[in-house]
Amino acid sequence: MSRLPASPLAIAALLIVLLVVAGLVAYRTAFAPEVKVAVLFDVGGRGDLSFNDMAALGADRAAKELGVKVDYMTPKDLAHFVPLLEDLSRRGEYQLLILVGFLWIDALDKVADKFPQQKYALIDAATGKRRANVAEFLFREQEVGALVGVYAAGMARELAREAGGPVKVGSVAGMSIPPLWRFHIGYLFGVKYFEAKTGTSVEFAWVYTGKFDDPAAGRRAAETMLAAGTRVLYGLAGLTHVGMFDAVVDWNAKGRGRALAIGQDASQEWYNATYIPLSGSKRVDVAVYRAIEMVVKNAWQGGVVVLGLAEEGVGIWDLEGVRYFAQIAYETKKTKVPPQQIVEIVSSQRGKYIKEDVQRIARELEEKIRRGEIAFKDPRDEGEYEAIIRELSRGNLNAALAKGSVG
Amino acid sequence: MIAALSEVALALAAALAFSSLLLLALGYDAASSLLTMFSYGFGNPEYLAAVAAPLVLSALAFLIPFKAGMFNIGGEGQAYLGALLFLYASQGLGALGIAAGALAGALLGGLVGALRAFLGVNEVIASIMINWTLFYVTLFSVSKYLTHPEYPHRSIDVGFSLGAPYSLLLAALAALAAYALLYRTLLGYEIRVVGSSPRAAAYAGIDARRAAVISMAIGGLFGGLAGTLKVMYVGHIDATMSALFGVGFLGIGVALIGRANPLGSVASALLLAGMIIGGHWMELRLGTPPELTDVIVGTTVLVLSAPYALKLLLKGGGLGGG
Repeated sequence: MSRLPASPLAIAALLIVLLVVAGLVAYRTAFAPEVKVAVLFDVGGRGDLSFNDMAALGADRAAKELGVKVDYMTPKDLAHFVPLLEDLSRRGEYQLLILVGFLWIDALDKVADKFPQQKYALIDAATGKRRANVAEFLFREQEVGALVGVYAAGMARELAREAGGPVKVGSVAGMSIPPLWRFHIGYLFGVKYFEAKTGTSVEFAWVYTGKFDDPAAGRRAAETMLAAGTRVLYGLAGLTHVGMFDAVVDWNAKGRGRALAIGQDASQEWYNATYIPLSGSKRVDVAVYRAIEMVVKNAWQGGVVVLGLAEEGVGIWDLEGVRYFAQIAYETKKTKVPPQQIVEIVSSQRGKYIKEDVQRIARELEEKIRRGEIAFKDPRDEGEYEAIIRELSRGNLNAALAKGSVG
Repeated sequence: MIAALSEVALALAAALAFSSLLLLALGYDAASSLLTMFSYGFGNPEYLAAVAAPLVLSALAFLIPFKAGMFNIGGEGQAYLGALLFLYASQGLGALGIAAGALAGALLGGLVGALRAFLGVNEVIASIMINWTLFYVTLFSVSKYLTHPEYPHRSIDVGFSLGAPYSLLLAALAALAAYALLYRTLLGYEIRVVGSSPRAAAYAGIDARRAAVISMAIGGLFGGLAGTLKVMYVGHIDATMSALFGVGFLGIGVALIGRANPLGSVASALLLAGMIIGGHWMELRLGTPPELTDVIVGTTVLVLSAPYALKLLLKGGGLGGG
């Protein structure tokens, strides 16, 4: 039937080729495994130039520096969290699933125990349970809040000197959830610390808008506070506090008074460098990078990792950070002002409104925290949180501290 | 029937062609993008059922008043209220909470229908206002009274759950019931006559007010059930309202794709649910932005419902015909 009988030689050659190919494939999978990571955002997804974008930033950096493959997914709404997480875990093709934000808590609780081989990293939230396959990254928001509190009070003092009136600071906050409780405690602590060190009394206002994605609500809250004489507003509400920025800019532009705003998470000075001379940092990118690093370097450890000032997890954005985000904003056409100009304006505004004594007080406080001389309390429930705030409002600084004391 | 099906097939092809062009224009591999969307979207039946079930019901919420010549844009509000009442009632009553959710929606729908029938209040404007009021009422209730003791960003857990397959079964039975009501009962006939020609209805002695109130109440019942099923699957209402928001609006699209036919709505809900699910995997595999999924789903709704909507308009019978 066929002209050529299958010669033993040909079969042998074929077998050798097959073996070599199989060997190569085996070698690739055994000795050069590519680590694959999926980042699952919360409902908002990328484009917030803040929380979610910073998570992507950390993952992108890991992709470049650690040679991992990173894919992204943004769930449409809450109904998709559990089935998507389950599908991804069942397929098992990603060594690490990074879950960004507190909305993932429930889904993780439902899924994690079913897939002990799948590693998960939860960013900026905690389930309250310890699992070997789950690493949870939290931040000591109190520490950045405290520094911002000192700066805000100092800036409000300068504004009151220019225009008269009381020294008053405030914050437009998102929802009443644990990270915001920690910000609140830190911010109020910083303000009271400033009071204690300078003898200048400072009024304090705090408003929960209940939303992280509603600039109109942020604007309304800010306008009310500005009308009540607040000079410096700290934005702690994600997209909501962009509305607060707008309110502050308008307040100045329309000549209704002088006011300044402070951003949070990413450096947000680029949004309006003149009136937003300062931003607190919360390095979601550092947390994401660390999670990936643990997998790549075979140093995985389940449990809670808390990042504070000492771990570079929180802090105040320096001018390099300001330039970095100004550059992104400029490239994505969110601002027309060139990065260099933004940095110059920020630098001069900081010089104008953050006086030498305020810098000294903030530096001193930062050193205490970094060296571990003092550490803040982390309230477990709303009752404990409110109790700490009550004590702080009375000027009892030590009520916020779990370790050490300030005089 | 065959003409209708081939028209749908043609429209679907047009929607996919447009989506492909869009993907290509943005620099993505169109074939593998859409392949990913459809293969993953329909790869997990339970997930598909969970997403489709509320959509079937919110489509019915729109469709029944639509047959009576009314535009129920209040599916959103009815879903919020149904979800809230179910969440609350299921704590003590278990499965009976479903009835509470449905009843709440029915009362709300009936109220809007009555406002229209007896006071001439436009149901679209009333519903838009009620939607937003209920959005915040729900948000307020969740963060004030029904808050989870450990997780302050969300409500307590629901007290009863059907599971995804039975949810879809319930939705399919609801669609059958809606079909039987519209095409096999006197009431359904009256509703359709009022919708097609109010003057003929008046001549035949049909009470248009009664048809308005009852059709809106039945629509509201389905709207309430839509919210009930959604919150039942998620297990709680969260402070972003992300799961509930949009259920009612998307239902309008589902109903129009299904040519305002209750049984067609089941098919179109499954189609859209699969595309929404698949969109996630398209983003994961090919890096397409999530907004692109919305655009593709939106385009599909538009293209698929356009021939039907156009025909209704050309027929001159107003939007409520059929």
